[in-house]
Amino acid sequence: MLILMLSFAFYLFATWKRHFLYIGLIFQIAYLIMRGFQLERLPLVGPHDTITFFSASVVAFSIPFNVVLKRHQFQGIIAVMGSVFTAFALVSKQHNAPLPPVLRTLWFESHVVLAFLSYALFGIAAVLSVLFLKERDNSFDGLQYRAVLMGYCLFSISMIFGGIWAYLAWGTYWLWTPKELWTTILWLFYSLYLHARLRQWWMGKPMAVLGIVGFVVVLFTYLGVSLLMKSSHSF
Amino acid sequence: MVRRITKFFLSIRTTIWLLWFLMAVLFAGAFIMPAKEEFQAIHSMPLFDWLKEQPISMTWWLWCSIIILAILTINTVFCSIESIIKKRKATQWLLLISPQIIHIGFLFMLLAHLLSSIGGFKGVAVAREGAFLKMPDDDITLNIKAINIDVDQYGYINDWEVNVEYISGQNKILKDRIKPNAPSLKEGFNINVKDLQAFPEKAVLLQVSREPGALWALIGGILFMAGTIILIVLKVKMEK
Repeated sequence: MLILMLSFAFYLFATWKRHFLYIGLIFQIAYLIMRGFQLERLPLVGPHDTITFFSASVVAFSIPFNVVLKRHQFQGIIAVMGSVFTAFALVSKQHNAPLPPVLRTLWFESHVVLAFLSYALFGIAAVLSVLFLKERDNSFDGLQYRAVLMGYCLFSISMIFGGIWAYLAWGTYWLWTPKELWTTILWLFYSLYLHARLRQWWMGKPMAVLGIVGFVVVLFTYLGVSLLMKSSHSF
Repeated sequence: MVRRITKFFLSIRTTIWLLWFLMAVLFAGAFIMPAKEEFQAIHSMPLFDWLKEQPISMTWWLWCSIIILAILTINTVFCSIESIIKKRKATQWLLLISPQIIHIGFLFMLLAHLLSSIGGFKGVAVAREGAFLKMPDDDITLNIKAINIDVDQYGYINDWEVNVEYISGQNKILKDRIKPNAPSLKEGFNINVKDLQAFPEKAVLLQVSREPGALWALIGGILFMAGTIILIVLKVKMEK
């Protein structure tokens, strides 16, 4: 837990000196690896581990974007996001019990990993949207599209893997639960985003607004539904 | 009139509006569903059979989403055909075809849901070791030969397996083993274990289900995945 606290502290410092972001990320990855060894599985069950993984994914994915952008502001917002989510992870419940046999499969692991990587990319797209609205620089808009396209691809693959796993585990690839409905809403939302880009009217500010709203839907799908509604994905 | 209808279905604006409407009705459904107890039985029979029995005041959002999806299907087919015709002379045919592969994948997934919603089946039964269960739509009986549960020192189930045997008349036709994420598949039926009990006597909650759309969903998923990956790879290559 100390390593995760250090990671949180470095992310906070990164709002002041940017290179602390990378040190924070190294600590966070080290924490995830140690937890993996301790649990003898991928640490991807329960709010503590998933929020930690999500936070690390956001910071890790921001690096290639920042190589292109080279903006301190972008890194600053990513540092704030990293520290906020790490703080949530620190106060969240750890799931230390052994996994039920049904969760010990590559389908489940890849389903969860891909989902969180896509959430991270949608998060980065939202940050780029905020910066676009502030500075009206088209480079933010182009990168936002790339982040969403990559995120959409990973999210779709995650849903397909989840369906295959559900069929093998429970005999059905689709269950009518609030989580599945919200996941579909999220997938439709980003489908809409990608189609809307084909029309001139949506370019610029509307796209940026969609990028931000999309991340709100991501957060509700991930945290809101898992915490507030009963489903097969509940924490 | 025909021209107006064609124009409507050929428009990307139609797609965008339909997606907004679809999200709105699913959004409503995400709040209606947990509030109504009747939805707990939604998996017990094919969706369309269940829908017919329920009041429209509770299921309106599902009917609306079916109608919107039907219009979206026509819209997708029209737009894909138009896109191929318009860009047929383009040099990068893979870039042209990849969004259409994604669309075909999407349509296959919709077909899968339609087939499962019409002809799906699900039944559950509690069975102890040695029990015989009659399979639906067939003269086959399922015999639960053995239930092996490995419980660790803290009481958590570490692993399990259920040995089964299919019997037709007097003949044992197949021996199989059900394990976590490894159901027994027999003539379109998926037999899996939903729950287990180790004490006071070994028992399983077996589920027999049939998803006529499963194969189509898999094909659709593979096409969707292939299309998106090709699209991204080509876009990255173009930028380089």
